[in-house]
Amino acid sequence: MTVIHFILDSIREMFRGPREYWMWLATLSIVVVFGAWRYSEQLTNGLVVTGMSDQVSWGFYISNFAFLVGIAAAAVLLVIPAYIFDRKDIKDVVLVGEGMAVAAVTMAILFVIADLGRPDRLWHMLPGIGRFNWPVSLLAWDVLVLSVYFLLNLAIPFYVLYSRYRGKEPVFRRYFPFVVIAMFWAISIHTVTAFLFSANPARPFWHTSLLGPRFIASAFASGPALIIITLQIIRKVTSYHVSQTVIDTLALIMTIALQISLFFVGAELFTDFYNEGAHAASIHYLFFGLGGFDSLKSWIWLALALNVVAVVILMIHPLRQKTLMLNIACVLTFIGVWIEKGMGLVIPGFVPTPLGEIFEYLPTSVELSVAAGIWAFGILIFTLVAKAVIAIEQGKVRYTPKGLSYTQ
Amino acid sequence: MNTRAYLFAVALSCPFISTAVAQESPGGQQELRFEGYPDAPEIEVIPRKDDLFFYPCTQCHSFLEPNADIRELAAPHDINIDHGRGRIWCLSCHNLDHRDTLRTLLDEPVDFDAAHLVCGGCHANRHKDWYFGAHGKRVVNWQGERTVYNCTHCHDPHSPAIKPRAPKPSPPVRAGLQLESGVEHEKSSVWESQEEQEEQ
Amino acid sequence: MSSDDTAGKGGGSFDKARRNFLRGLGIGTVAAVAQPAWGGQTFQDVFADFFQKDYRRMAPEEIEAALERIERKAQARYDVEIDCQNTPPQPGVVYGYAINISRCKGYRDCVHACVKENNLGRDSQVQYIRVLQMDQGDFNLEHSDHYYEPETVPVEGKHYLPVQCMQCDDPPCVKACPVQATWMEPDGIVVIDYDWCIGCRYCMAACPYWARHFNWTTPEIPAEEMNTDTHYLGNRPRPRGVVEKCHFCIHRTRKGRQPACMEACPTGSRIFGNLLDPDSEIRYVLSNKQVFRLKEDLGTEPKFWYFSD
Repeated sequence: MTVIHFILDSIREMFRGPREYWMWLATLSIVVVFGAWRYSEQLTNGLVVTGMSDQVSWGFYISNFAFLVGIAAAAVLLVIPAYIFDRKDIKDVVLVGEGMAVAAVTMAILFVIADLGRPDRLWHMLPGIGRFNWPVSLLAWDVLVLSVYFLLNLAIPFYVLYSRYRGKEPVFRRYFPFVVIAMFWAISIHTVTAFLFSANPARPFWHTSLLGPRFIASAFASGPALIIITLQIIRKVTSYHVSQTVIDTLALIMTIALQISLFFVGAELFTDFYNEGAHAASIHYLFFGLGGFDSLKSWIWLALALNVVAVVILMIHPLRQKTLMLNIACVLTFIGVWIEKGMGLVIPGFVPTPLGEIFEYLPTSVELSVAAGIWAFGILIFTLVAKAVIAIEQGKVRYTPKGLSYTQ
Repeated sequence: MNTRAYLFAVALSCPFISTAVAQESPGGQQELRFEGYPDAPEIEVIPRKDDLFFYPCTQCHSFLEPNADIRELAAPHDINIDHGRGRIWCLSCHNLDHRDTLRTLLDEPVDFDAAHLVCGGCHANRHKDWYFGAHGKRVVNWQGERTVYNCTHCHDPHSPAIKPRAPKPSPPVRAGLQLESGVEHEKSSVWESQEEQEEQ
Repeated sequence: MSSDDTAGKGGGSFDKARRNFLRGLGIGTVAAVAQPAWGGQTFQDVFADFFQKDYRRMAPEEIEAALERIERKAQARYDVEIDCQNTPPQPGVVYGYAINISRCKGYRDCVHACVKENNLGRDSQVQYIRVLQMDQGDFNLEHSDHYYEPETVPVEGKHYLPVQCMQCDDPPCVKACPVQATWMEPDGIVVIDYDWCIGCRYCMAACPYWARHFNWTTPEIPAEEMNTDTHYLGNRPRPRGVVEKCHFCIHRTRKGRQPACMEACPTGSRIFGNLLDPDSEIRYVLSNKQVFRLKEDLGTEPKFWYFSD
């Protein structure tokens, strides 16, 4: 069957390349194996090897999860211009964006699994043989929307690439409905993830209606930052054409999103500190420390500084046009949002505890290693997928009934 | 006043009157037996007499002269009465005429196992709380037969205030946090911070 | 098996070797299945454990089998013979609890009685009850001291507030659980099926009273301190990686006994009973005392009140 050939040829394409490509894959694989090895420590001894406690019961893993769902959702920023506004230049790279979404969702789900106390009981979530608490539980919603988003971002590129592989143009009206669904779905995955946190009046730091908008805004700032860097790398290491207008559009989106995101931060700070009550204890801990504990203080101020510098660079039009300055802004934004939306979101929700106790959290080497392994795995997935996507898009991999042939 | 109004008045005042029935005891004394509040569930009070070292008092007091003068007593009754801040003394509760009983404010004899009637004479609200279960301790079951401790089981009548005692150990920090290899945790600062606060 | 029926050298010895291997494999499989080798459990038990359904969908025979597996597991892990039951809720009973905070002196007798009664891991150091010490005149939980250890209690100028699972009538933890491993039983107790929980800890984030605790390690209980009277939904030995919390001593209260914390309290500050019984002590307290609940404004409807004289 042609499909089998398509899959096999794609896989073959993933695993051929110059020496530098293999070194890149090898490096990533080493990190993945290292992460997996340390995860086995966690499986053997339990979550006691992490720095989490009853007081701070979610930590580094869920921080990365929240951040990565945002990255996954940001793929929609390529999908909308490509298919709704019919931007040809963006259409050329949209599949790379969807590949990034697939990698990001994979990483997000892996982080959740790494955080579970009983990953052997994952089947308990399957509807029918397990008990899936949908629609009541926000976590059930998150699992549902992430799984469907994952499938959507596999299915649409699969169809498009498969058509091209057979030398045909994909039939627009066949996949466009799914594209529309995927657009709305992208917003939904990140809104549901925000609701996961904001649904808890037990945690005043999260219990704000602004959390959903903040998530979207910061996702639309950090996502394009990553995409811009990635597209430039692709432009450099492959012969794939990435139009500068793509970068410009993404940079513009990123600028606006970052401005909105910082405005939201300002709104939170004002609302909590103007008349400071007990509900502001968590944000006080985050920005100023509480009761002598302030391990997150330097981090959040760093994140804020990075984001402010980035937004200033981006707002100055001539600077945004310069590649180096834009890349600096992207890196600053990415790191800044990772801090703010990762540890800066999850940990203060637990400090102080609902009984007023201040108990700090620090990730252990196991958590850092497993996280590195998962990130490496995601980047590895993306590399492989992008390799195949680019090759097929460039027409280098085509179906021939007599077997594989490279037209290059 | 017609009968209905009279009964209504009685019914209204019932919760505020503890009905007590005088009963003939073997020694010919009239001992107060508590019938409880109306509408209250049945309770069984754990007896105290077996725990009283000097009971029955008539072992000695059958041949000792009764002396009603307010004074400090000699051994073995040289107890410091830390109850009522000087407003009561031994014979406020102990019965001079019938040594093996206590006495109410109306000089009715009360068995030691019903000591709560004496306490309830002044501490009426507390007595009602105790009777209905908002004070004191029930034993064994929450359901079915209700057995409660007497007041004097917890409160030494001569020094009823509960004395301070050492608490049990404070909660531990999560196992393994201090021992985690590689990363230094600041969890010990929890302890330091608490100590700092206490020092201030 | 004789070794001299080899036809030719090469093929014959290979056949023999293969036969020996397969035989060994067969014996080994049988041995592995039947012997306690998987952390002390037999393979059958591990298999049955893995595929065990959630409590509310198990048929009575399946629950019986699960109870027996739990007893076998406890025997293997702790070398103690326990009795695991599945006492059903009493009809017409909804439990309520009240604490007299003017009587509580902060002894923590309740905390430690609970640890013993409910087989809480001494190593995993979970405690269902936490007593807060606060300054007189201050009810801000953020000013509370959880780790007080003065010479004697009560400390002059302080008051004490024991906190444990409030058994809410509208529990946020029940809504949060993605696999419905926690729910409210008909008698009002919010229970957890420890064999169904996946350990995601979302319920811990959702609980406004910090009542839910996690087994970061495998609970270690000395054999001589094990309470052998257990309940499937309550104090039977729990595995690692699952959430647990106060369950109103379900193994005792469903049989009419007081919860261990109430029995342990020397000051009689704890009052427990049936909210549906108008003659109960708890109902008297609710009708006659100025009661309050923690974080009333969150709408969780706790069945755990506080009052003072």
